[in-house]
Amino acid sequence: MATAATSAERAEPILHLRGIGRRFGGVVAVSDVDLTVRAGERRAILGPNGAGKTTLFNLISGEYPPSTGTVELFGRDVTAAPARTRARMGLSRTFQTSRLFGGLSVEDNLYLAVLGVGDGHLRLVKTGADGELRDKARAMAEDVGLGDRLDVMVSELSHGEQRQLEVGMARVAQPKLMMLDEPAAGLSRAERVTLTETLLALDPSVTLILIEHDMDVALRVAEWVTMMHDGRVIVEGTPAEIRANETVHALYLGSHG
Amino acid sequence: MTASVGRTSWPALGVVVAAAALAPLVFTDFFVSVILTKSLWLGVAAASLIFLSAYGGMVSLAQVGIYGVAGMTFANLVVADGGAAAAWSPWIATIAAIVVAVAVGLFFGVIAARSVGIYFLMITLAFSVLVYYFFSQVTQLSGFGGVNNPDLPSLVGQPGQDPAPLYYTTLVVAVLVFLGLRYVSRAPFGLALQGLRDEPARMRALGFNVTRHRILAFTLAAFIAAVAGVLSVWYNGRIAPGSINLAQTIDILIIAVIGGLYRLEGAWVGALTYALLDNYSREWTPTVGDVLGAERFNTILGVVFLIIVLLSPGGLVGLWERVRGLGGRGPGPPGEVAREPAPAEAAK
Repeated sequence: MATAATSAERAEPILHLRGIGRRFGGVVAVSDVDLTVRAGERRAILGPNGAGKTTLFNLISGEYPPSTGTVELFGRDVTAAPARTRARMGLSRTFQTSRLFGGLSVEDNLYLAVLGVGDGHLRLVKTGADGELRDKARAMAEDVGLGDRLDVMVSELSHGEQRQLEVGMARVAQPKLMMLDEPAAGLSRAERVTLTETLLALDPSVTLILIEHDMDVALRVAEWVTMMHDGRVIVEGTPAEIRANETVHALYLGSHG
Repeated sequence: MTASVGRTSWPALGVVVAAAALAPLVFTDFFVSVILTKSLWLGVAAASLIFLSAYGGMVSLAQVGIYGVAGMTFANLVVADGGAAAAWSPWIATIAAIVVAVAVGLFFGVIAARSVGIYFLMITLAFSVLVYYFFSQVTQLSGFGGVNNPDLPSLVGQPGQDPAPLYYTTLVVAVLVFLGLRYVSRAPFGLALQGLRDEPARMRALGFNVTRHRILAFTLAAFIAAVAGVLSVWYNGRIAPGSINLAQTIDILIIAVIGGLYRLEGAWVGALTYALLDNYSREWTPTVGDVLGAERFNTILGVVFLIIVLLSPGGLVGLWERVRGLGGRGPGPPGEVAREPAPAEAAK
């Protein structure tokens, strides 16, 4: 990884995985992965289906604990910390299949995303603080192109709109580290172009880790690529190096013609 | 657009409450007591179940157990025939009964909150059965044949002679419970509760403590159930283990399902339907040879229940919405986001 002299290379590491692994019964989903991501970096994680990318995301976000290894986030060992603690430290994520609150409106969904990292989850009365949270929620809805859909129930949104909201949910709490799991899944060509532009326009201080099958999106947004196969990291490099890599072609790009 | 669980029709609510306030002028004392008052407190009990189900996605069978604890505590703390007869003031006893039942609810919640679906249902069923057997066996508290004629607050007078004061008291409580739960559903606590109903994993990823939230929602529902438990003793003028048994647990569930598990209003719609059927189905049951007759009025209850469940998963309230065309796609469980499988072909 010495070839890439990007600004991210010199910044502080904010995520450090050491020898991380996860078994589900007899299945080894992720094994012995070391990964360092620096502040402000744009990282893509690629690999064929079943390579362990989403499991790796779940280990980083704290959805479940690793079987082996440690997770260090913002300089703190969070291996044993639950997902909510990591979220409140400034990590946000999206899900491969949208996990939205279908029985609530677009605005309420974003409102909960802002409320989550703040205090007062248990308040039985509304206060002035909720007004500010709702302002943030509405501004984000505008940002992701759902400004005119605020009161619509999320279960009524189209697939494309749900994916937009999924990204909005991750952005609205102003995280330091944002992890997007296949944000382009199921989007039309035009929607992917919009998504790519949104990702390129993100605040450069926000660190981004992206799982993406769409090479046009992934290799345009990322400045450094980690390639996974069978639960292990097999290659790391710049997008150009990844495009040229024989192993990558054989394993992944080649399989899709 | 589908009417969400969070919307209220204020004019409709006003009309219903105004009609309810005039009811004692129109109906007989019998009807006001045995149908209307009973519907109102049964509705409060069912509302505690529907609140957990509609907003939290938790169908609890513990509500009768919790209201049993409240009812028994009240009956034992005031002057009564049987039980401890501690001779407290009825109001102090009311508060104490609610506090005890909420504490028991919190304890139950801590145990049940980590489980979901059928396991949550079974654990909460076990709570109700446990409360029933406790009071059945500890006759120092439940008397032989129940605790009878407890001292009531002067506010409700003598319900046996004039049902109006108890009726109005119960009506005010029911309206407050409805409005209170409606308000909470739009407050941070209630919105987060709906979030964890739809996607608990997302809620964790957003920074919420899902288990703690479930426990406290269960405790809030226990508070509502406790209120219903005290009202039930005021209404019946007695409480016995038989009034908090498995049959009563099932009746409250039936009321909630008939009314509609997805909307709070369903609690009282279901309770009224239940009270009417329970009281009049004996007269309405036709005699068909040896097969059907007045003594088989439970058959009518069962058939009506089946028809409603088959016609409308959202109960009578859901049916009403569908008839009025309010729910574009018809009623049903909220929160089902259309999912598409992750397209493996996206890499082209």
